[in-house]
Parts: sequence; C-alpha cells; structure tokens
Amino acid sequence: MALALYPGFYTLAVNSPAGAEFVTVLPRVETMIVVLYFGLFAMSFDFISGYTGYLSFGHAVFFGTGAYTVILAANGKLPLVPTDTPFVLLLVLAGLLAVLLAVAIGSVSFRLSGVYFAMITLGFSQVIYVFVRDWDYVGSNPRDGVSVSFDTHPEAFEVGVPFVDALGLGLGKLNGDELALGVVDLSTVEVSYYLVGLVVLVCYFAMQRIIHSPFGKVMLAIRENEERARAVGYDTDRYKLVAFAVSAFFAAVAGGLFAGYSRAVSPDETFFFLVTGDALLVSIIGGFGTLAGPLFGTLFDELFREFLSKEGTGGGLLPYLQSHLPQGVLEAVIYNGMTVGEAVDTFLNGHASLFLGVLFVLFVLFVPGGLLGTVRGRLGGTASKQVAARLRSAGTNETSGGAASEDD
Amino acid sequence: MSSSDTPTDDASGAETTPDTETASTGTPLLAVEDIHSYYGESHILEGVSLEVEEGEVVALIGRNGVGKTTTLRSILQLTPPREGRVRYRGTDLVGMGTSDVAQGGIGWIPEDRRVFSALTVAENVRIAVPKGSDVDAALAQVYETFPALEERKAAEAGALSGGQQQMLAIARGLVGENDLLLVDEPSEGLAPQIVADVAEAISAASEAATVLLVEQNLPLALDLADRFYVLDNGTVVASGDTDDVSAEDDDLRRYLTA
Amino acid sequence: MSVLASAGAFASTATLAPLQLGDLFTVEALSSILLDGLSKAALYALIAMGLTLIFGLMGVLNFAHGSLTMLGAYLGGLVMVTLVTTTTGPFARLAVFFVGLVVVFGLLSALGGALEVGLIRPLYDRPPVYQILLTFGITLVIDELVRIVVLFYGLQPITEWQAALGTKPEFLSGSFTLGPVSVAGMDLFEILLGALAVGAVWAFLTRTRYGLVVRAGSEDAEMTEALGIDVRRVFTTVFALGAGLAGVAGMLLMWDGNWGASVPLATETLLPAFVVVIIGGLGTFRGTVVAALVVGLADALTQWLFVNVVDFPSLPEMTVFLILVVMLVIRPQGIFGRAEVGGH
Repeated sequence: MALALYPGFYTLAVNSPAGAEFVTVLPRVETMIVVLYFGLFAMSFDFISGYTGYLSFGHAVFFGTGAYTVILAANGKLPLVPTDTPFVLLLVLAGLLAVLLAVAIGSVSFRLSGVYFAMITLGFSQVIYVFVRDWDYVGSNPRDGVSVSFDTHPEAFEVGVPFVDALGLGLGKLNGDELALGVVDLSTVEVSYYLVGLVVLVCYFAMQRIIHSPFGKVMLAIRENEERARAVGYDTDRYKLVAFAVSAFFAAVAGGLFAGYSRAVSPDETFFFLVTGDALLVSIIGGFGTLAGPLFGTLFDELFREFLSKEGTGGGLLPYLQSHLPQGVLEAVIYNGMTVGEAVDTFLNGHASLFLGVLFVLFVLFVPGGLLGTVRGRLGGTASKQVAARLRSAGTNETSGGAASEDD
Repeated sequence: MSSSDTPTDDASGAETTPDTETASTGTPLLAVEDIHSYYGESHILEGVSLEVEEGEVVALIGRNGVGKTTTLRSILQLTPPREGRVRYRGTDLVGMGTSDVAQGGIGWIPEDRRVFSALTVAENVRIAVPKGSDVDAALAQVYETFPALEERKAAEAGALSGGQQQMLAIARGLVGENDLLLVDEPSEGLAPQIVADVAEAISAASEAATVLLVEQNLPLALDLADRFYVLDNGTVVASGDTDDVSAEDDDLRRYLTA
Repeated sequence: MSVLASAGAFASTATLAPLQLGDLFTVEALSSILLDGLSKAALYALIAMGLTLIFGLMGVLNFAHGSLTMLGAYLGGLVMVTLVTTTTGPFARLAVFFVGLVVVFGLLSALGGALEVGLIRPLYDRPPVYQILLTFGITLVIDELVRIVVLFYGLQPITEWQAALGTKPEFLSGSFTLGPVSVAGMDLFEILLGALAVGAVWAFLTRTRYGLVVRAGSEDAEMTEALGIDVRRVFTTVFALGAGLAGVAGMLLMWDGNWGASVPLATETLLPAFVVVIIGGLGTFRGTVVAALVVGLADALTQWLFVNVVDFPSLPEMTVFLILVVMLVIRPQGIFGRAEVGGH
C-alpha cells in the first residue's frame, strides 16, 4: 500500500530540489494521521449509510463514545477500569460500549426508515451531545473538553501487544516513541502515523471481510430493495441492527484513536452532529457505498483544507505565492486598496469549506458514485453491482439504489 | 366471443397510421399506437394499440396485472411510454407533461378514487374546476347530480364511504370540462347496490364525454360500453363490439380468470 | 447557543435568590413561563413553517433552511444598520423593520426559487437521501460565503451582530408591568409577529386557490397533476415561499439578544426547526404550529427549572431533543401526521 511509504516519501520530497512545491501540495504527516483516524470514522459511517441505505445522521455519538471512553479511562473516571489499561484493550472496550449504545438506539430507530431514521438517530446523538457538554463529571469545564491528566496517565498510549511493553510503541506528538531501525529514523509523528495506520488497516480489512461475506450481500439487498430481501426470508431488522452495531464499533475505535493521539477531546469535535456532516461530506466525495472511498475523500478534504489553511503551516497557497511570485504581483492592487496577497488571504485561506461545499454539491448532482465509485464504474462492475443487477432482474419493482451501487 | 367473428385479432398492432395524418374528420379522438411502457426495468406494455372514437364508451378488460392501469397512466403521461405514440385529436401526447395532457381535456378517475382526503368535499370539487371557470356553477351541478355529496360538502373527503368517494372522484372528472374520461375500476370494492349507482353516474358522464373504462366486472363493462378491448400480458389480444358478446362467453372469461 | 444564551440572561437576574420547585406555582412564575414559552413558540413556528411547507409538498427535508434563516438575519441587519441612525425615532425604526421584512422576504424567495430550479429539481427522481445531501452542501456554501463577507467587513462571525441589535427601538428592549406580571417588550413583539405570520400562512393555505393546490399537491402530487395543475411550478413557488419565511424568521432573530445575526445561527435554528417539524408530523402545517407551542412551552418550563431548581445548563436543550426522541418512539408520524408516512 502506497500509504505505508508516505512518511518516507514526504521527507524525500520535501528535501528534494522541488521541495517548496511539495511542501505546498503535500499534506504533512500530522495531517495524514487525521486522515487515517477520521477516514476510519467515515468508513464506519459509510458501512451503515452507504451499504444499507440507512443514513445514520447521529453517527458522531459513537465516535464520541470511543474518544471519551479512552480519556475517561486514562483519567481513572471509568468504574472498574484501571488507568493503566493497555490502549488496545481500551479501543476494544470503547467499541463494545458503542455496540451496546448502537443496539439500544438501533432497536428503536430501525422501526423507521428514510428521513425519519436519519432524524431519530440525529435526535439521540444530540441528546447525548448536549448532556456531555454539561456533564461536569468528565472534567471541570466539560464544554471546552477534557484532556488526559499527566498525573493518572503520564505515559503515551501504546499500540501493540497488551501487557508486553517491548511489543508496543507510544502514540502522540509530544510523548510518543521515536524509533531507530537501522538506517531509518522515525520521529514521534511518524511512529504515530504507522501505529494509527496499523489499527485503521486492521479495521478496514475487517469491514471489507464483512462486506464481501454473505452478510454484506444482505446489507446491499436491503439497500436495493428491503421488501424483497424480507420476502426472500431474511430477517432484515436483525441484519440492520448488527450492521449498525458493527459500524458503531469501528466508529468508536476511530474516536479512541483520535483521543489516544491527541490526548484531548471536546464535545464539539466528537459528539456534535457536524462531525457526522464531515463524514457525510468525505463519503460523498470519495464514493458513497465504497468502503475505501471515504478514506480517499478524507484525504482529499484534509489536503485541500491544509492547502488553504489560514496559518500556512505545512505549506499552502499563500506561503508558496509569497516565496515564488515577485513582490510586485502580490502587492498589486486589484480593487480599492486590496492587494493580491490580501485577496488570497481574505477569500481563499481558511475558507476551504466553501470550495468543498461547491464540490460536494457538484458531486451530488453529477458524480453520485464519488471519486472511487466512478473510477470503479469505468473499470467494470464489482460484486455488489452484480447483486444489484440480480435483484433488479428478480422482480418487477423499481429499485431505489440508483446511483451508489459500487463495492468497496 | 368467437375470435373468427366480428372481433378483430389485434395482435398485429391495429392499422398503423402514417405519420402524415393530421386532425380531420374521421380521426379517432384517441389513438394509442403500439406503446411500450416500463416500471423501472419491468416491461409492462409490450405494444398496446387501441382507438376510441368521439362519443363512444370503450371498455378495457383483462386480468390483474396485464397492464390496464398502465395503459391509462401511459395515455396521461404519468408513465410515459418509451416507444409508440398516443394521439389525442391527432396530436402526439408522448413527451408532454401530465398537467398539459389534462388541460387538453383528458380526465382521470383513478383506481382507489384518490380523493384528497384532508380536503373537504367541496374543496375536492373546487380544485378540479379549470382556472377561469365558474366554480359555484360547477358545485351546484355536482350537488344536483350527487345529492349525497351536498350533505357532506364540508366533511373531509377521507371521512366519506367508499361509494361516496367514488361519486366524488367521478364528480371531479365531470367538472374538469373533459372530452375524454379515463375511468379505472370504478366498481372495485363497492357493495352491489352502490355499484348500480356508480354505473348510473358513469352512464350519465358518458353523455357529456367519451369514456375509456377499465373494469373487471364483465357484465358491468359490457353493459356500459359500446366496444371493448381485451388486454393480456401487456398487449391487446382481442377486441369487438359489446353487442356481439355476452358476459357468459367462455373465450372472453378465459382472459379474466387466472 | 440560543437556549443557553437566554439561560444566562435569566440566570443573572434570578440566581441571586434560589427558589424551590414549589415556587413554580405562583402567578409570577407561571406567567413568566407562559410568556417566555409563547415567545419561544412564536420563534419556533416561524423558523419551522417554511421547512414544513416544503417537506409537505415535495418531500424534501431542506437542510439549508437554517442557513437561509441566518442569511435573512444578516440581510435584515444590513437594512437596519444602513437606514437607521442614532437619531431615528422608535416608531420609524419599527417602520424600517417592516420595510426590511419585505425586502428580506423578497430576496430570500428569489434565492429559494433559484435553488429549487437550478439544483433541487434534477434530484426529485432520486432517493430522498440525495435531497438531504444536496441541501446539506448548499448549507456549507452559504455559511462559508457569509463568513467571508462578514469577515471582510470586519465583523465577528461567531458572536451576534451588535450593531444590528442596536437598531432595536427602546420600548422593545424594556418590559412592561401589569400587576404582578412583567412582560418583556421583545417577547410581546415576537408573539405578535409569530401569530401574524402563522395567520397569514394559514389564510394562504385555506382561503386561496393556490393554497388549495399546495394542500392537494402535498397529499397526492400525481393526482393534482392529472387535474391539469402544473405541480412542478407550484414546487418552485413553495420553495421560494419557504425560503422567504426562513428569511423573515432570521430578520426577527436579528433583533433578539438571545440569538442575533451570526453564522452559527444557521445550525442553532436548523436543529430546533427539525425537532418542531418532526414532532408536529412532517409536512402538516397545523401539527407544526401545535408542536412549536409544545416545544416552546417545554423549553420555557425547563429553562425556569434550570435557573431556579436544577443546576444543569443544557436542561432545556436536552429536553427539546428528548421530546423528539420520545415522539419518534411512540408516534413516528408526529402529532398530526398520517400513519402511513412513517416509512419515508
């Protein structure tokens, strides 16, 4: 996988003669870590929404559950869970808690479909979001979030074999591990990249296995025509609930990774409904109903945001223009005393959302298969397409799947 | 029905009229020419052709699921045919919007009535009156024809009995100033006594408009109609004058039972 | 956040003397809860009406509705700030407000119509999820555009627009006393304007032929089409009307210190609007008005409880979402919804 070589490639590229250009367009390794864990969350969102057609608009609640489980455990606030519980076990625990929550929410919500399902899951997640925001048990200022205390959990969260210190490496930019393997020296960020990447990869393959199993075929059948799937004899309610629980598990793992890497979380970046909105955005751009699509969508999203970031850290448009355009151009006045440089700063930097929004609208209208789905479509169908085709030919009803009929 | 007799075997797709034909005397009010319609990927109509002359009552009969309702929907462009033509007074309707088709004088009295259940009886009539026409006169005419509706004029249509809803649906078709009424299964689910009332209403309606009637109740269909077409598996398999056949005709009944 | 901001306003006046639950049953407490609840209900009805009309007729759950409200707040604020000077008298300010209301309604309607024709129309044949996706995308674009413009003019996009708030005539900022009952001027203004808007839309729906067409089209668009009515054109009109109503709501919120014109106003209004519309039964106007009353009063009551009895700032907001969840569990079609719509 090309992603495995990314940190090395980035180092090489940035130090090459064309370094400035690379700094401008390539995401930093830190950004790539975000891509990985948020990509995992987006994949889990797509797992339920894209494959069964049930839009889980409250999916952030599972991301938040994962993140807060890790933080609370490390701060000794999770009953029966010692503060030094291995991180990998915490991730599993977070996933299981999310499964319980998903079963509770799902058993009520799956009586509804379409817009109503989206709304009831949104309702549940907002109740919990609002609650966590004011829950002073988690920390003294719950609204601003909570961080891992260095008193109860001074060491970094380790990804590796539980209880065997030699087989684990610490996450985190500040107190994570560095690694020297022969000629390769890896910084803390690079180590974190590989550790998060490892977990994400395992989760990806697990989800991919499920999608390709008979279970996954039933999920697609539900999306294409639930009534027929039921008529053929599948207990679709049970399939939907299990799929929902599975997606919640991986969403929580993603949240746990986020918390483990950053050591601090807030309700607005975990439980809030716009977090689900971001997952939706990247899923559409990457390819709704394609498992890897949301990961590519996240990559695209983060890359674009970094390119137009206000701070200009890790390259970006304005720093590049500043160092490469003659001063005269940058200071040329376009309108009413505003220079080119100021215009870029005002209208482009920090406003990636605008262009992503336009892109999103265009994708919904013209490329409903997303980046990956469209590429796949060009190259020929996959398993899910054949399932869809079989379902279509099996009966007379109109299929509702329409656009998103690609596999991962 | 002896298929060698007066009924023409219509599988060949009627006499296909040349494209150059324009509206003139002798042009049928409605000519459906070899239409193919689909629901999704399902091919429902596989080349239906039929004609309705001005002033006629024509019955379209056949089993459930052979495409009778789809034929009406295809005429109205609710389910636009992918192939073939629907000529109304010589003009091809295919590709037009349903509202334009309706404004051209084609009314629909659909299966299951489809009255607006949250609207009052009077509002149901009101909305069917074309813009610019006299609403009060239309209401008065409806109440005269259907006194039962006047009694319930302020009630929500959803609260009416099945028979009353059918009357309302017919009334809606009448006030629409239509030249052609497409009537779908008017007797379905109604008690025999009510069916007689409905039959009377349709027969009254046929004084003012041409009627294409879909009906499974064979005696009723033959009683009301001048001519008939039999539809099976998405195509016309027989047609003829209703005077030449009886409801006991085995050949005809064969097409109506599963 | 709106609810919290108003909680804060409440708290500053009331936490000095903590009360007990029993104090709820006094004329002062009940009347203040009722008035506060009615004014909230008026706002909720205003922000939800357009949403419900649009969903009722065309089945589109418009995620951009909050952004249109936010846009209305800024445009309304712009009208006020431009036309009102420090010397403008209170009644002249009120007159300018109503001029602004007309302007905002017109501009937002035009925008709504354009959005329907240009972007939403191609999606009617796709599964309903695509309309959610599209309008969600529109939200991203509108919010970011407004943010750019607001920043460009040196305003703060996160907190409410103070200059616009400052154009409010004084008698709306104060309160009147009637015996033991104290009425905030702004509450009264909101109740009046909300009632007026509800009445106007109600009259439109029941007293005009166009309203009749909208109601018929909401129930059975195909049948309406078959009666010779071009329902697609009605879609455009209703989308424009819904967007216009969102703008009117925004204009009013621009003057309300608990809300104010700000970019986050988009999500702050969108979520309660969803709650109200779903509780009422998606697409039923009557249900939306009743639901706005229920949610408004519940909001005001829990607000009072938070200030006086329970120390949990998010209690009102949480209650609002809990009502939504409970409603969807026990009666998914909403108060006045029809049973069969539970599916889609």
